[in-house]
Amino acid sequence: MNIVVGFKIVPDDQMVKVVGDKLNTDAPLKVSTYDKNAIEEAIRLKEKFGGKVTGITVGSNDRKSIREALAMGVDEVIAILVKDPDVYVTAMAIAENVKMLNPDIILFSEMTTDSGTSALPAYVSELLGLPYISNVKSLKIEGNKVTADRGMVSYIETVESSLPLVVSVGGEINTPRIPSVKQIMESSKKPVKEVKFDAQSKVRIREIKPMIVNRKRIVIEESDINKAVDKLIEYLKSDGVI
Amino acid sequence: MKAVVFSESPVFLKMAAAVAQSFGGDVIGISDSENVKFVNKLYIIDKMDEDGIVDLISSLSPDVILTGNVRRDRAIAGRVAGKLKLPIVTDVVSLKVEDKKVTLNRVAYSGMGLVTLESELPIVMTIANTQLQPKELQPTVEKVQLKEGRVKIVGRKSTSSGVNLATADIVIGVGRGIGSKENVKYAEELAKALGGAVGGSRPVAAELNWVPEDRQIGLSGLRIRPKLYIALGISGQPQHIAGIRDSKIIVAVNTDKNAPILENADYLVVGNAIDFCKVMLSKLGKK
Ligand SMILES: Cc1cc2nc3c(=O)[nH]c(=O)nc-3n(C[C@H](O)[C@H](O)[C@H](O)COP(=O)(O)OP(=O)(O)OC[C@H]3O[C@@H](n4cnc5c(N)ncnc54)[C@H](O)[C@@H]3O)c2cc1C
Repeated sequence: MNIVVGFKIVPDDQMVKVVGDKLNTDAPLKVSTYDKNAIEEAIRLKEKFGGKVTGITVGSNDRKSIREALAMGVDEVIAILVKDPDVYVTAMAIAENVKMLNPDIILFSEMTTDSGTSALPAYVSELLGLPYISNVKSLKIEGNKVTADRGMVSYIETVESSLPLVVSVGGEINTPRIPSVKQIMESSKKPVKEVKFDAQSKVRIREIKPMIVNRKRIVIEESDINKAVDKLIEYLKSDGVI
Repeated sequence: MKAVVFSESPVFLKMAAAVAQSFGGDVIGISDSENVKFVNKLYIIDKMDEDGIVDLISSLSPDVILTGNVRRDRAIAGRVAGKLKLPIVTDVVSLKVEDKKVTLNRVAYSGMGLVTLESELPIVMTIANTQLQPKELQPTVEKVQLKEGRVKIVGRKSTSSGVNLATADIVIGVGRGIGSKENVKYAEELAKALGGAVGGSRPVAAELNWVPEDRQIGLSGLRIRPKLYIALGISGQPQHIAGIRDSKIIVAVNTDKNAPILENADYLVVGNAIDFCKVMLSKLGKK
């Protein structure tokens, strides 16, 4: 099976912080959270059906993050460098580079922790003319037939389609494996192909501001929980919320 | 100016139509319900087939395509943009259109950032929220039979629990720190005593099913605005905070006094969530 998995290298969302009136996004890089679930699902498909997993990433080509994906079991990574990537540029770059791989399935996650548009997998599916199933919670493939449960928040939808196709997965689908030391060592020998892609972005960023709500941040710490609750109730009464 | 609006959710369809009306041109709606009174023209579709809806929207060559923000809307918006090779901006909280140019604000960085973007028309966007109300119109109606798509819907299971967290005054959120599905009853008893409702973090709602899935609070679930939000055993990752930012008062109960939720809480009670519920209940009973 020709398996392709898209992943994005992003600033660690737990380290992105509001500093004064700025959002400091200059945090350590990592593979975006649910993209690891997409990688895990790709590797499981390979373990079941054989074939190859090609990882594809657009934007940062941070080696440490790419090696994380390789150590998990991705066979090869295509890292695409672009200027000003928006959804359009990223999708075009991916479509351009995966066409010749003739993929049976392309996996993405439902949303990254930085731009979080949910639009990329859908965009790519149209550029390649493939069917698309979003927000997959569980995936079953038999022969050419694909059955998936989609988590739609207020309902779960079961759908059927056939390969080749594009899917996006949520964090519920699996638990990403933690690579062994040996796998991490070996990942440095796996191929990383760096390519450039040139296209004019359609959406331009003007400004990034933090969303600030000032909270009281009062810590109530007592050895006796009774006392702590008494204090809290006093506070809540004076706030007029109970 | 021709705007096409679509949403699987009636509430979002109305919001998207309100935004579309503000551009002053023709508003074309797509829905599976006849009960849509705020567009100039309404296409009533016979099924929620994504291939069919994407084709229908694309065939109308709109200047602006607006969808809501539920998951199906987002999938369709992304595909329409891809099919027509248009710019796409999701989670739009406000926008301004001038001639062929549009300036938009959206949330990013898992809800921590507000980003201002610029693009040209035509454009696809998903609307996060708006206070705008659409005017009532008498649309001309056309029924459309969509072709059979490549993805067939074979089942649907509601996760609805009949509680509306979005309008509740007091919400208690349970996180992984509550420990087990059985323990959620303590949160429920407390909610009952306070006249509130229980929701949960994504792992608890969508993965562990300790609370019904439609009560997931956060970036990819519900955005709530209660008077009082009590987070029991929730660490406070940005994706959860994105859903509770508009709460008046936020209380967190956590065994870890350095839990990241402190940044976004008014009060952090250091302690076990179950003990807290029990004591709180008894105190409220004594009132
Ligand atoms: C794209 C994306 C979208 C997401 N969308 C959402 C969303 O909409 N909503 C959401 O909630 N999450 C969302 N998440 C997940 C989010 O990042 C966190 O993983 C999640 O919110 C953590 O849930 P939690 O706080 O319940 O669990 P944990 O992070 O495991 O936290 C448990 C907390 O409980 C405390 N604790 C443990 N035992 C006790 C005890 N006995 N008493 C009191 N406290 C205790 C611990 O100290 C810890 O702070 C999303 C993630 C991604 C990547």
